[in-house]
Amino acid sequence: MAEKIKPPRIRVSRRIKKNKVFKVKVKFDHPSFTGLAMADDTTEPVFNRAKPVTFIRNMLVYYGDELVSRLSLSSGIADDPLFTFKLKATKEAPVKIVFIDNFGKRWEASKEIKFKG
Amino acid sequence: MKKFSQIFVISYCFSFFLFQTIFAGTVVDKFKIEGIISIASTKALQSELLKKLDIKILDLNLKKTDSGWPVLRIEYDPDIISKNKIETVIGEIEDPAGHKYKVHKGPLIANANLIDEENQAMTILGDMTMDLKQVNNPTVDFDSSIKRGKDVFIKNCAKCHGLNGNGYGVVAHGFATWPRQLWAWYKADSAADSYLYWIIENGKSDMPPWGLVLSEDVRWDLINYIKTIKKPEEN
Repeated sequence: MAEKIKPPRIRVSRRIKKNKVFKVKVKFDHPSFTGLAMADDTTEPVFNRAKPVTFIRNMLVYYGDELVSRLSLSSGIADDPLFTFKLKATKEAPVKIVFIDNFGKRWEASKEIKFKG
Repeated sequence: MKKFSQIFVISYCFSFFLFQTIFAGTVVDKFKIEGIISIASTKALQSELLKKLDIKILDLNLKKTDSGWPVLRIEYDPDIISKNKIETVIGEIEDPAGHKYKVHKGPLIANANLIDEENQAMTILGDMTMDLKQVNNPTVDFDSSIKRGKDVFIKNCAKCHGLNGNGYGVVAHGFATWPRQLWAWYKADSAADSYLYWIIENGKSDMPPWGLVLSEDVRWDLINYIKTIKKPEEN
């Protein structure tokens, strides 16, 4: 589990052609924890709070100025998640990904999209 | 006889003063503890605290506390040890795996308020896509369907929604949103069927899509049972 939160990193396909679909990969080192633990298993399983619940709440994807997708996430997501999705290269503009966690903290990363070939 | 009564009075006074000396001015305080993640960590916290401070640990309640956080009750003399000192010492102790404890303060921030950017995104794209199709309940024999639905509920739903549907299941603490209190649909008419069917099939928030696990017939049994769940006071 990532104890330290690192800024998100984006990778995109090397050769992006106009009006073709390209792949975007985003890695974000952020912990995900329900906050629960089972400290007493002598009787029936009862969970107690162990840490404050921590997870990425929302992921927003912008292509240029346009918001193209919103992912609503929960504590069920993995630690340090890697997201992969596809976009259609309609314009030369930056792809920006914004993450917001359940404490309302915000991180972003962006990558310029330029057509080749 | 006179001698006996003298001894009795003296021993009574002695034990009274001794009791006063030992317990005079002691207070009992409760501390919500973060970082208890295993049986080993409950033992480590208590033994280390007793080594470091002159206090008496009354109990460590892990279950069914008001806040869900484990509560440690300590008796101590405030003239000798301050509450801050106890909190500091708790923060310094490590469990065998190297995790630190902390005294939890304030309300649980399970989900802070949405920031402007999130609100804007929801305005543009919608909170969530709900394509409610009009569905008709195909159940004929409601009594047996409700019985089957109860079994399905206990097996799959009660952990989060609670056995009596109060939304306070054993794993409910960790969710971003509190599981729904199911008596909202007590005796709901057929208009609620589409909504319940959609939510059970696709899930919502922390609730998984049960459509992947439960067959359509079983889901209808479940819906029929949910509509019979009363508020506990009314039971």
